[in-house]
Amino acid sequence: MMPRKVPGELPVSFRYTPGVGNTAFLEALRDRGVFLGARCDVCGVTYVPARIFCERCLAELAPGVECGPEGTIESFTVGDVGIDGEPLAEQVALGLVKLDGADTVLLHRLLGDGPWEIGVRVRASLAEDRTGSILDIEGFRPA
Amino acid sequence: MRRVAVVGAGMTRFVRRAQETGKELSFIAARAALDSAGIGLERVDAVCGGTAPDAFDGVHRKGDYLADGSGAFGKPYIRTYVGGGTGVFVPIQGWYTIASGMADVVLVVAEEKMSSCQPHPQGAFLTIFDNVIERQLGPNLLWIFALEMNRYMTVHGLDKRDIATVAVKNKRNAAGHPAALLGQADISVEDVLASEVLAWPVQRLDVSPISDGAVAIVMASEDVATRLTDTPVWVQGVGWNLDSAYWTNRDLYFPEYVRNAARMAYDMAGVSEPRKQIHIAEPYDPFDYKELHHLEGLMLFDKGKAPEAARDGVLERDGDLPSCPSGGLLGVGNPIAAAGLMKIAELYWQLRGEAGARQVPGTPERGVAQAWGDLMQVGTVVVMGTDGGPPTTASREATPPAAPRATALSEAEFRATPGAVEDRLDVEYAWDAGEAMGGFLEALRDGRIVATRCAQCGRTLVPPRRFCERCFRPTDEWVAVEARGIVHTYSICHVSWDMLPLDEPQIPAVIRLDGASEGGFLHLLGEVSPEHIGIGLEVEAVWKPIEERVGSILDIVYFRPRDPALRTAGG
Repeated sequence: MMPRKVPGELPVSFRYTPGVGNTAFLEALRDRGVFLGARCDVCGVTYVPARIFCERCLAELAPGVECGPEGTIESFTVGDVGIDGEPLAEQVALGLVKLDGADTVLLHRLLGDGPWEIGVRVRASLAEDRTGSILDIEGFRPA
Repeated sequence: MRRVAVVGAGMTRFVRRAQETGKELSFIAARAALDSAGIGLERVDAVCGGTAPDAFDGVHRKGDYLADGSGAFGKPYIRTYVGGGTGVFVPIQGWYTIASGMADVVLVVAEEKMSSCQPHPQGAFLTIFDNVIERQLGPNLLWIFALEMNRYMTVHGLDKRDIATVAVKNKRNAAGHPAALLGQADISVEDVLASEVLAWPVQRLDVSPISDGAVAIVMASEDVATRLTDTPVWVQGVGWNLDSAYWTNRDLYFPEYVRNAARMAYDMAGVSEPRKQIHIAEPYDPFDYKELHHLEGLMLFDKGKAPEAARDGVLERDGDLPSCPSGGLLGVGNPIAAAGLMKIAELYWQLRGEAGARQVPGTPERGVAQAWGDLMQVGTVVVMGTDGGPPTTASREATPPAAPRATALSEAEFRATPGAVEDRLDVEYAWDAGEAMGGFLEALRDGRIVATRCAQCGRTLVPPRRFCERCFRPTDEWVAVEARGIVHTYSICHVSWDMLPLDEPQIPAVIRLDGASEGGFLHLLGEVSPEHIGIGLEVEAVWKPIEERVGSILDIVYFRPRDPALRTAGG
């Protein structure tokens, strides 16, 4: 019996532009170290990162509300294994952080030893050399 | 069933590389459509999304990814995907959501952001070829088009010049479209015929451009539509149909599946004489010949007669049957699913008499839009109309869409965009050949080509399968067929799938094997110079030495002319 498996791949890679909303957010983060959101006054919702539309009513929004840099942990997890199931040398803590002034949460790293709890106040730790990336935020530490 | 109308339409500008994300493009189009209908999102009961392969945007969950920009927050929503046919299928989805009584107002949004896919979005198309017996040959999406175009031209004895007039017409028409990517008022047939040969007979200007963009329409039930507007455009008929997935078994000269879909839509619309009753056509035109091919499938011209109609001006905006007055995919652009829905938007504007600079003259009462896709075998058709033609009060001053947006980035800007992220889907696949193809590969190793036979319909099937897809029963036996046959169609391809020039052209061909019932398979020709190749050429397989065969389609090196006098030396 000959092998009947045929190997193959999808030989493409991707380049994602951040879009208008995220660009405003990332540039504000890089240049001014602030968290830029967009607020829909009709729905009473402030989105962070900024968006150009309100998903609830499809109104056009202009980025312009600054939120944070402190916020509250809405939920968190502590990872002991990597994406292939391999044990990690150091635990990784990830949190959903609701920045002060925002109605949405941001997924990012939690820095420090913990223990973590929902409701804990945290503060963003920003990189010194910022490039306009979500990694310009190093993570969030207890406030 | 309830009557359904289109009551609003909007779109982004179509651009080569958009700064906006797919969500943002969807929002721009959806917002414009709602504004055009004069309603807010709260009036929308359900949302239908249409977008083609996930691998274009590089978001492997495009349906829900686009939901927020499409206005689907907290609403019934589903994404439709039938390849290139998606853009004309998604309004069909909107139609049955309303016709069934499940919703009164539906927002229909189609999006594509092809610039994300690197190095070339053609990479996403490679997976439409059979993994076991086609991808091994190193295919290129252009092959399929070139093979079909050659077959169409040869069967009817068509002049490439007549076909090129379609590219000219559409790029000129698009010069009147505010959202167009490739509108060009001064393009000539000579420009098209002088453009680079990619995969003969396909040349650069025969092909629509890679594009980013989104389009949206608002559909409503009769009672809502008549309250929202004095000029609803009714969906009179819808149809869709699939042909065999064994594309090398079809005669590529005619799109049977388009005719089947058109019959379904015409029957529903009460259209018995389409040539008299259809006043505007928006057939799918990713390549110039496809518009003609599809016009024939739509039964608007006899087989092989659309090209001379194009030459004689019948398809011009002021001709007897205006075809792609929008400018089509060749002119406005081809963000796949969005391009199909753009055709529905165009019929909406044309039939309301508000297409401005693009308005076809007279009082058009009915139009047909059509798209095509999957592995060349799905046809989607929508017939739209008004009761009595555009109102005399309709404005022809402004040309829709009004102030379409989308931020076009140059290649350099695209590369330098702050915050842009590069990634790849780091996975590999191992496809099991399966029972039928496994037996086929084993026979190849032994230097034989085998088929399966269905005793009920009497067909001998190559590529072999374990079931007859027509009789829908198991096939009955294995039979051997000859390792020779005739060239059903061929192309001479000068570029790789990522559009880089090849050192030596490849000559893909569909080989009709002696002893097989319909067609055969895709392979390459060798030991032959182009002037000796023609449809109908008798060819035979050239095998690898037996010790090098592994049970692969590549155990056949290529097919060569059976007549030694037609062969070149070596191979």
